[in-house]
Amino acid sequence: MIEVENLCKIYGTTPAIEDVSFSVKAGEILGFLGPNGAGKTTTLRILSGYLPATNGTARIAGYEVHEQSMAVRERIGYLPETPPLYPDMTVEGFLHFVARIKRVAAGDRPLRVEAAMERCGILDRRRSLIRKLSKGYRQRVGIAQAIVHDPPVIVLDEPTVGLDPRQIIEVRNLIKSLAGDHTIILSTHILPEVSMTCSQVVIINKGQIVATGTPENLMEKLTAGAGYEIEVEGEIEAETLNSLLAVPGVKIVDLLPTSPTEPRQRLQVVCETTREPGPELIAACVTEGIKVHEMRRTRASLEDVFLTLTSQEEVTITRSPSEDEPESEEIAKDQLEEDQPEEETVDN
Amino acid sequence: MLVVFSNIIAIYRKELQGYFASPLAYAIAGIFWLLTGYFLIAILLGPDGLIQQVALRDQMGLTEPPIDLSYEFLQVFLRLMGTISLFVLPMLSMGLYAEERKRGTLELLATSPITNWGVATGKLLGVITFYSTMILPLFVLQAIALSVSSPPMSPGIMIVSHLGLILLAAGVLSLGMFISSLTDSTLLSAIGTFALVLFLWVVDIIGQAVGGPLGDALSHLSLISNYTNLVQGVIEIRSLVLFGSYVVLGVFLTAQSIDAFRFQRS
Repeated sequence: MIEVENLCKIYGTTPAIEDVSFSVKAGEILGFLGPNGAGKTTTLRILSGYLPATNGTARIAGYEVHEQSMAVRERIGYLPETPPLYPDMTVEGFLHFVARIKRVAAGDRPLRVEAAMERCGILDRRRSLIRKLSKGYRQRVGIAQAIVHDPPVIVLDEPTVGLDPRQIIEVRNLIKSLAGDHTIILSTHILPEVSMTCSQVVIINKGQIVATGTPENLMEKLTAGAGYEIEVEGEIEAETLNSLLAVPGVKIVDLLPTSPTEPRQRLQVVCETTREPGPELIAACVTEGIKVHEMRRTRASLEDVFLTLTSQEEVTITRSPSEDEPESEEIAKDQLEEDQPEEETVDN
Repeated sequence: MLVVFSNIIAIYRKELQGYFASPLAYAIAGIFWLLTGYFLIAILLGPDGLIQQVALRDQMGLTEPPIDLSYEFLQVFLRLMGTISLFVLPMLSMGLYAEERKRGTLELLATSPITNWGVATGKLLGVITFYSTMILPLFVLQAIALSVSSPPMSPGIMIVSHLGLILLAAGVLSLGMFISSLTDSTLLSAIGTFALVLFLWVVDIIGQAVGGPLGDALSHLSLISNYTNLVQGVIEIRSLVLFGSYVVLGVFLTAQSIDAFRFQRS
């Protein structure tokens, strides 16, 4: 449905994006992930036909975005970084206007506008002037104008920015509900969003694509595999660590530094991909006379992948997977910061 | 074809709605009415006004040549309205594209299945309509005031001269729209438009100074000479063509400048 090949955009002598290629199948949701300034908005603007590319092609539903611009424009709904709203119009009036210029037939317009308002949860403010709306409502009106003409392809540039947590969930559910009938490409720098809504992820940094794949693939690609974190009590010596290392499937065993007064210590175990020697590890600990208080599986979250890819630093995989609870992730990270300096690194 | 027309109407309606909901538009209209209303009274009834002058003249016994007061009034007043409009029109056209750019809504128009010249035409029609509604009350006032004159005012001249004013406005607004499409700052757009209009207003003086065929060509471009012709009730085809050309040129250049953005380094 969307095919992008070797897209380049150069402003003067500075390349904004270089050699960007990806494709999206009909009904999929593609997440375009990257830090600020990476080139996400530039790519989306080229896709929507607003900016011309310096090189490369982009096709939407088979039509080239530059050569066959009108055909493309009829088939996409676009939400730019700043929602394109007229402050002096009412919500309903604005959506009617957008429906008109998007060539919705006159008879269908009231129905479509009603449906878009309902889907975005803005029915109660239909007669409000847009300049009187809060940011969250404006964002929703922005999404409504992107879907009012029921386009096959929807391009959303940071659709959840400025929304409160409840609204973010609503918008994500809305986006998920649109998939299947529509092909969606959205850009964001909010990582949990991507793993929650997208079937495919493209990570871009400094104008170049650094990774593509499903969220799971990406996590696998860049981690040595799952691992464990074991809270133990007892005498840990070099031999102990070696015997744990001897367990088949274990790659690295590290002792995380703790304060000397703390009786319990934490072991970090990194395993080979697809191996799960949990029970064997516990058996080995018992044999060595170490008491096991807690054992946790650790897996790189998408955030680690993102940071690794975009900062070119190795990142410790020491946090438990909890993509559905961003708060606990934060807490775990804070605890971890107390355990610096980082001696443990992922051995790729 | 129908779709294109429907698009233009959609833009036109949106523009009109915008004007009637915008405080700036009301402010401009209000000041315009204040100024022109004052001058209407002053020119007609004031101590130095036309009625006094003619009365004085009659007292002194100079009855030849007979002065058609209403006609004279129309000339003076419309010339004044033209001059005032030169200041007001850039303020009306400055926001046409600059505001859209600033608000980010140009991105919406540029990614919708609507042509650039369609948008430009719709916007131009909208602002001309608004200007016409600004002129309308003055037209009515003049009609009322001059209806009792003797010899009676010919309605034909009234209409032609006011159409001349609207044509002048259309040309200026169209060029102003082009300048607005070049920038995202309304102030810059207003200043640029004012400078261009000033140039075109006095270009006949420049043309005379330059002399030769170039000077002649320049003089023909002058807004004031062509406007004055129309105001006098003289319909010269070349004046109509000139104003029409300004209108078309403005729309054409606007569409090109928006398009040029699309073809940057491509």
